[in-house]
Amino acid sequence: MEYLFSYDNWEWLWTGNNFRFLLEGLLVNLQIALIAIVFSLIFGLMLALLRLSRNRFVSIVAGLWVDVWRNLPLIFIILYLALAIPGSWRDAYASAIPDFFPDAIQDELVLGALIGLVLYNSAVLCEIMRSGIQSLDRGQREAAASLGLTYFQQMRFVILPQGLRRMVPSTVSQLITLNKDTTLISIIAIQEVVSAGSTLASVNFGVEVRPAYLQVFIVVGLLFIAVNLALSRLSRRLEIRERERTGTTVEPVKGLEDQVAVQAAVIPPNR
Amino acid sequence: MSDALDLLTENFGAFASGLWVTLRIVGVAFVIAMVVGTAVAAFRVAPSKALNRVGGIYVETFRNIPLLVLLLILFIGVRRAGLPISAWVAGTLGLGLYTAAYIAEALRSGVFAVGKGQIEAALSLGLTYPRAMRRVVLPQAFRTVIPTLGSLIIAMVKNSAIVGASLLALPDLLKEARVVQSETAQTEAFLWAAAGYLLITVTVTVVFRHLETRYAVRR
Repeated sequence: MEYLFSYDNWEWLWTGNNFRFLLEGLLVNLQIALIAIVFSLIFGLMLALLRLSRNRFVSIVAGLWVDVWRNLPLIFIILYLALAIPGSWRDAYASAIPDFFPDAIQDELVLGALIGLVLYNSAVLCEIMRSGIQSLDRGQREAAASLGLTYFQQMRFVILPQGLRRMVPSTVSQLITLNKDTTLISIIAIQEVVSAGSTLASVNFGVEVRPAYLQVFIVVGLLFIAVNLALSRLSRRLEIRERERTGTTVEPVKGLEDQVAVQAAVIPPNR
Repeated sequence: MSDALDLLTENFGAFASGLWVTLRIVGVAFVIAMVVGTAVAAFRVAPSKALNRVGGIYVETFRNIPLLVLLLILFIGVRRAGLPISAWVAGTLGLGLYTAAYIAEALRSGVFAVGKGQIEAALSLGLTYPRAMRRVVLPQAFRTVIPTLGSLIIAMVKNSAIVGASLLALPDLLKEARVVQSETAQTEAFLWAAAGYLLITVTVTVVFRHLETRYAVRR
């Protein structure tokens, strides 16, 4: 306790550029999360549509694909891709990435991390979206079909707007998990906030105030808690407004780490 | 393909011991998570605002911190602070405390799903609040959250790989696969680790589907 609260062990936080260094690391995490979120949502929706395809072969293949990727540990996928991605892909990535991203994201190693995050999260998001679409009453599609809408029009104008809206809370809680999971890429030596924290806590040369490991990572943890709490508050507000407007409830999704957050959010804090 | 099979038969001991370590990490962490999670859930539904707040802070803290950061705090941070915590204790405690937040939320939603009339009836029969909770509400709440517990165990199996891959380096399935890969320079080692993880997660899925049809209450 004495160690935890002693002034000497916290002094690094307001000395020099230490805190700024951590924030810059966190920014890398958030940018990688953002890129992964965009691609995961796109691929997740595509996979969900394939899984719901009326062609049995297509839906079975898509189902197998999704079940494999969402049942493997993400850190496993990232470590495997770090070895397995061909060098030519990495070179292509390094030359294709726009210059305005920070150096850490220009690193060719980031490609494997991004593909891993997208493979895993698009599979989980596919399940979320599929269950949202399937929770719709059959009559919706039948009504749309009887109005003469084609399959594409039914999806575009009737099914997806309602189905996806129902799944906003589950989706946001999965995106929070994704945000936390960006720390895993420190294991393949990408310069983000965990690597920044380790660097800080191990520098020894010419500094008068040596950062303490425990305190550095408590600060890193608090930064994540702040970002994720803001996200979940936002999602909760969205969800309550949505429920008031449409009177729909949330369907549980199997295999989602944070689905309990969604179920709990449905229940008022004081019954 | 025969190369991949040779890799499995020649290193079967390593893969099997890795699988066993993974299962042990998950088992110990699950016990910690259930005990702590039930306590936190009890705090969150207790008829006291202060206790509710304490439970809420626990849940929000451990649900929003990355597991890797929690493990680094518990292992390296605590060690540097002068407390010689072992890798096993840090790993299972980290995974257990992290999952406890999710279990607490699941149980809380389960408790609220049990009709309000149940606890009122129990109280009016003269049971004390803790007794009514233990005898009437909790048994029903546990049955409601069986599917969620299944999801959480699968998430724990996947998260246990973080315990092995982070600086703790417990010799779990992923760690063993990496050792085999670096010794033989064959990436197929990862294929067999994937098979091991899928074996566990598929088994858990099947077992919980069975439990669900037998015991679960659909509300």
